[in-house]
Amino acid sequence: MFQGLRFEPIALPDSAAVLRLEVRTFLDEAMGKDMLPNSDFNAGESAEFSRALATKGWIGMTWPAKYGGAERSFLERYVVTEELLAAGAPVGGHWIADRQSGPLLLKFGTEQQKQRFLPAIAAGECFFSIGMSEPDSGSDLASIRTSAERVEGGWCLNGSKIWTSGAHMNHFMVTLVRTEPASENRHAGMSQFIVDLSDANVTIKGIQNLSGDADFNQVFFDDVFIPDDRVVGQPGNGWEQVMSELGYERSGPERFLSAFRVLVEFMRAFEGSSNVDAQAVVGRLIAHLVTLRRMSISVAGMLEQGKLPSTEAALVKDLGNSYERLVPELVRLYLPDKPSPRLIDTLNQCILHAPSFTLRGGTREILRGVIARGLGLR
Amino acid sequence: MGEQTAMIQETCRKILTDHCDKGVVDRAEQGEWPAQLWDTLVDTGLTLAGIDESSGGSGGDVADGLTVVRSGAAFAAPIPLAETFMAARLIQLSDGQVPNGPLTVASGEFELEGGRLRGRSSAVAFARCCRHIVVSARSDSGTVLCVVPMAGVSINEATNIAGEPRDEVVMDCHADQVLNSGPDIGEEFKKLGALTRVVMMTGALESVLELSVGYALERNQFGRAIAKFQAIQQQLALLAGEVAAAIRATEAVTLDAPSILDIAVAKARVGEAVAACSDIAHQVHGAMGYTREHQLNHRTRRLWCWRDEYGNERFWQRYLGGHFIASGADRLWAELAEMS
Repeated sequence: MFQGLRFEPIALPDSAAVLRLEVRTFLDEAMGKDMLPNSDFNAGESAEFSRALATKGWIGMTWPAKYGGAERSFLERYVVTEELLAAGAPVGGHWIADRQSGPLLLKFGTEQQKQRFLPAIAAGECFFSIGMSEPDSGSDLASIRTSAERVEGGWCLNGSKIWTSGAHMNHFMVTLVRTEPASENRHAGMSQFIVDLSDANVTIKGIQNLSGDADFNQVFFDDVFIPDDRVVGQPGNGWEQVMSELGYERSGPERFLSAFRVLVEFMRAFEGSSNVDAQAVVGRLIAHLVTLRRMSISVAGMLEQGKLPSTEAALVKDLGNSYERLVPELVRLYLPDKPSPRLIDTLNQCILHAPSFTLRGGTREILRGVIARGLGLR
Repeated sequence: MGEQTAMIQETCRKILTDHCDKGVVDRAEQGEWPAQLWDTLVDTGLTLAGIDESSGGSGGDVADGLTVVRSGAAFAAPIPLAETFMAARLIQLSDGQVPNGPLTVASGEFELEGGRLRGRSSAVAFARCCRHIVVSARSDSGTVLCVVPMAGVSINEATNIAGEPRDEVVMDCHADQVLNSGPDIGEEFKKLGALTRVVMMTGALESVLELSVGYALERNQFGRAIAKFQAIQQQLALLAGEVAAAIRATEAVTLDAPSILDIAVAKARVGEAVAACSDIAHQVHGAMGYTREHQLNHRTRRLWCWRDEYGNERFWQRYLGGHFIASGADRLWAELAEMS
């Protein structure tokens, strides 16, 4: 069989059950009753919530204690993140820093960077954005033009990044830039900078998405000075670093739980009834969901073992996103006669955000290219 | 995958490669029993893998038996591997002795009265090829499991669209063994039926993916292998996703005692994968895949049958949906979290 299709069953650790209950108890207290939870895409961000979560040791929870981490396993982290998403918790603040920027710094950052940023992230006080896409560079990330010139003690950065979620609220952005002119090897000459988003030479302009929310931005750099100690890892190593980041980004529960609350509200509408269509719709969606979750946990188990399951991660995201698209489309066809305002609102929010599911974190076309490579087709 | 499972899989693959080529499958459809294939599998003990030695089996656990069933399905093996496993498992659960020879099972209304078993059932897999049939019947002493020699059973031959025997059996005869099975045997029957179809579909789907990728790499058009076209790559990636989901759903039920909810998830999910996978596989294979000359049809025609046997997707979706809606929307996550 093909290498990229290995999804070995993984048992969650014994500690998972206790941890899960702790998270639920915490959420019962931390989330107000009047909140209208939705998963993932518009759960929102709350500095207060992130700080509270940090006091439990649930941000940076796999990192070494000397950097503020809790030294727990990837699978334990998995349990916490899926509990947060299923409850619709406002995780937006620390989400990227915890999932991606922190692990990146842990792997490639200097000792000084680790000490400066990781404890602050783990304390829920330091939020990051991702600076990859540009107006003319989306899926073709290697074509970026934002660039920096060598200056005394650092770099002078010019250019612009786009679709940066939360840049207007976060503190820093790990930004992929050209530090050498493009050459024959398209992947050479790139570096990752930690850009301070409060810098006076950084301009952040909100972009309204089609739902009317403005959670993403275009960020402009106008002669921004980047001191040497804000270059992640080695200058020129940016491409390799960015690719390793994507493994964390693609296989987590956020890739199939975005529409979870829609399913819950739909089910609520049929409690006490034996509507056969509703049963079939719910059953179909749950069969997908349970299977996706198992695939995702298998990938988490492989990450735990130090493997780099890039094909499997791409498969989880592609299937998960297709499922997230299926949920609102099925639910709207089988709505009850008098749907609750909460069901309608949750459904509409999901419909409005659905186009983003198959774009963010790698478009479905790019993912399928990764999968095709795993199959030996390219 | 455990060492034992890997060894069984490898042995199966060798035997099936030698004795279950396309000609064997084609000839079986014309009514020829693939004796060499069956006998070789019997000689190596594989037809009763996963059945306790004390019941007359070859030993091992359920996963071993299901590995044989899955391997056979990947080769479209035209023999009652699944039915023999199911029958033997039911006999073992009822403390009986597994007889020699190919076995099958039938659901339906059977009555045991004064030592005579009466009833009929349609779409019985491979009935005409089997030595014994196992049915559950109502009797004065409750539900019993009957092991019946095929010699006394009337058979009206019929086939499914894959050309597999799905005969009608009519019984008015004596049983060799009448076993006190307990009231849960009907449930066990349903679970085993769905479970075997799940592993069979996944075995066939894995084969369909392999055939499709292989064909795309071989077939040249416009001066290059069609695998090099993005349109084909994207389709095969989708196919791989569905097969990966099927594999993972199947791993979760290849256990000694899978829950009915897990089986429902697997049957609904793997069954749903069939349409997408066969659609893409046939599209990639072009007209050649639409012929009897190519072996793809042995897999896809079987998949189109197996997804409907022992409850189609909608049946199991409703089972799942009914369960979770009755539990309550706010209990959903807690229950799902238990299903890892």
